[in-house]
Amino acid sequence: MTTNKIARISMLLAISVVLGLVESYIPIFNVIPGVKLGLANIVIVYAIYKYSFKDALYISILRVFLVGLLRSGLFSITFFFSLSGALLSLIFMYLFKKYTKLSVIGVSIIGAISHSIGQIIIAVIFLSNINIIYYFPILLLSSIITGIIVGMLSKKIIEYA
Amino acid sequence: MNKSDKILIIILVIILLVVFLLKIIFKTDSTYANVYYENNIIKTIDLTIDATYTVEGYNGDVVIEVLDNKIRVTEENSPLHICSKQGWVSDGTPIICLPNKIIIKIENNSDLDTISR
Repeated sequence: MTTNKIARISMLLAISVVLGLVESYIPIFNVIPGVKLGLANIVIVYAIYKYSFKDALYISILRVFLVGLLRSGLFSITFFFSLSGALLSLIFMYLFKKYTKLSVIGVSIIGAISHSIGQIIIAVIFLSNINIIYYFPILLLSSIITGIIVGMLSKKIIEYA
Repeated sequence: MNKSDKILIIILVIILLVVFLLKIIFKTDSTYANVYYENNIIKTIDLTIDATYTVEGYNGDVVIEVLDNKIRVTEENSPLHICSKQGWVSDGTPIICLPNKIIIKIENNSDLDTISR
């Protein structure tokens, strides 16, 4: 990786971390577990379109680590939620971008949904209890909405930068 | 937003509506609730009796209240208090206290995993 690229990816990582942190301080999103705006994912979507899957992977994983360090504690349950959600959403976003005709907005919606699914999977494993699945409908609804919002923002940024 | 996006959204909305309808169709009269610690039932609560119960969660005591066939968590030890903020539950939606590993679910009398036609 060239120095130039390292610098750029680091900047993106920093932006993603800040967005993730700022979001975690807004209390509105603490009512239902797993519901969040996901602004940090704008960076990931941007990286998938403007860079490569691998670069987006670096940013995703490092972002989860850094936010985990700064916010909830490394290797806490929240950390595993984030990691699982981030990885699943990255993989599905990449696949849907490559193999379907979805635009940035569609890809972003897929990202939001798979992020939620990743979190539900970890919750079910952590609690060894399938009842967590009851949260899926409300998470699905919020994922569609936040996916569209993040998608529209990402689209503008990809066009202008 | 192109055509594929719109198709995706329509499919998702349909899924949502189906799930919502299923919840309404399978709404049952709540008679009792099970309190789970991880995957084990540690207490079965009769919802017809107004009472307060205390169970032991991973982080400490979890206080459960029953009133008018509804149930809620009033007190528990956790960073965000999501499950006590959830308030009263009278349908099949579970109350999940993740840090305490406690799940409260109102069950009905019939077999849990069958769908009757």
